[in-house]
Amino acid sequence: MNESREPTVESDDAGQAFRCTNCSSSWYYTRGRCLDCGSSSFETYRLGPGRVVATTTVHATPPGVRTPNHLGLVRFDDGVSLIAQLESSGVSVGESVGFGEIVTLREGDATSIGPQLTTE
Amino acid sequence: MDVSITGVGMTRFESDAQASTLELAERVAWDALEDAEIDSSAVESVHVGNMAAEALDSRTGLENAVCGALGIEGATADRIENTSASGASALLRAVDAIRAGRSRTALVVGVETMSSVDTDTATDVISSLTHDREYVQGLTLPSFAGLAADAYLERYDADREALAAVAVKNHRNATVNPYAQFQKEVTLDEALKSPPVAEPLRLYDCCPTSDGAAAVVLTADGDGEVQLSAIEGATGSHAVAERADPLEIESVALAGERAMARASISHEDVDVACIHDAFTILELLELEELGFYDNGQAWRATLDGRTDRGGELPVNPGGGLKARGHPLGATGVSQVIELVWQLRGDAPGEGRQLDDPDVGLAINVAGFGNNSICTIVKRA
Repeated sequence: MNESREPTVESDDAGQAFRCTNCSSSWYYTRGRCLDCGSSSFETYRLGPGRVVATTTVHATPPGVRTPNHLGLVRFDDGVSLIAQLESSGVSVGESVGFGEIVTLREGDATSIGPQLTTE
Repeated sequence: MDVSITGVGMTRFESDAQASTLELAERVAWDALEDAEIDSSAVESVHVGNMAAEALDSRTGLENAVCGALGIEGATADRIENTSASGASALLRAVDAIRAGRSRTALVVGVETMSSVDTDTATDVISSLTHDREYVQGLTLPSFAGLAADAYLERYDADREALAAVAVKNHRNATVNPYAQFQKEVTLDEALKSPPVAEPLRLYDCCPTSDGAAAVVLTADGDGEVQLSAIEGATGSHAVAERADPLEIESVALAGERAMARASISHEDVDVACIHDAFTILELLELEELGFYDNGQAWRATLDGRTDRGGELPVNPGGGLKARGHPLGATGVSQVIELVWQLRGDAPGEGRQLDDPDVGLAINVAGFGNNSICTIVKRA
């Protein structure tokens, strides 16, 4: 019997990553199997603080997305990297950020809520 | 098997061509057949590159509609979708069909109509190529480019002039290209002061949305004036953040390496390059990933004029995506047409012809590097 969890992106889990229960490899961008060992058994975990690698402020955003949209490319432990909304502008490269309060990330047919990155 | 490019046809790229996707495709297909001096009945395979006609222009079955319009009967025909590299992907499929012996005469059409929906809809359709976890963050293609530009300027201690120089050059090249969407110069100052889009990128760092089409005819022989020596593709990561380095576009490096190996050429042999400059930062990154310049050096080369029309490596002599325009599915084919014109010596437009180039290279990129296709053409 396969005990894996369906790796769907739940509306409140933008602050969570996936960890393989077989080989402990971690990833953020949802996929059904571990790319290192092929296992489909994994768990989610809350990402700790990460380091900002690059930032941008986007002024032309899609429908349902805040304007301007502050974004950060952030590296976490275990080799996990992601791009996510920063709570505010003025975050610098090299700063430590973590996931904070749950907000609306994107409105629309399927409204997405989740935590934004904030300096600690 | 030698593959010749025996005919080309292209519309001017425009913000609104006042024509349907099918009408544009039909027009360039006839032009390419005429240029190749063949009847439509000679076409054995049809390869249509298009990203999203169903979403942007309520059109499906484009390949069959094109065959119907041209009176092509009994050919094999498909529509090939690879987002912003659909055009080069269609070309790759055509070359494969010829090399496999399935087709002796292939018609490749790249086309996109983006003006029939509003900007919000177009942005959303294009954003749907991202990973679901990128999409919920509101990420757009300019978002990725803004992050890469931020990392580039920081790492190589460059300022926004390094990016703006690409826009100024490509706009200058487009002023004399009758097929370009923007035929006007942009000064460094105008580029630097244009409104921010995805900081540090400004309006003039980003390509426009466009309507347009481009077509080529390929034949299985070595007699044509221009030979398609190699066309190679490579996928990269889907989620952009999964790259080990934000300045790395592994699909570009791999496609380029494979194509140059297959064509048995080195960097010094390339006389002209068409680079997928959807954003100014991409021209710099791709030139470095392809190995034309060391990491962190392409911006200096651009500022020094080494990629100008009269420089050591003319890059985007037709204006690139930046100024010629970027009708998604048409772009990859239009890059190769620019190379064909330059190699044949009949580049349309006053003073646009380069000095006797023999070898041209094009790189067409899907998304922000999800998949890239590199094409190399040589004068026979």
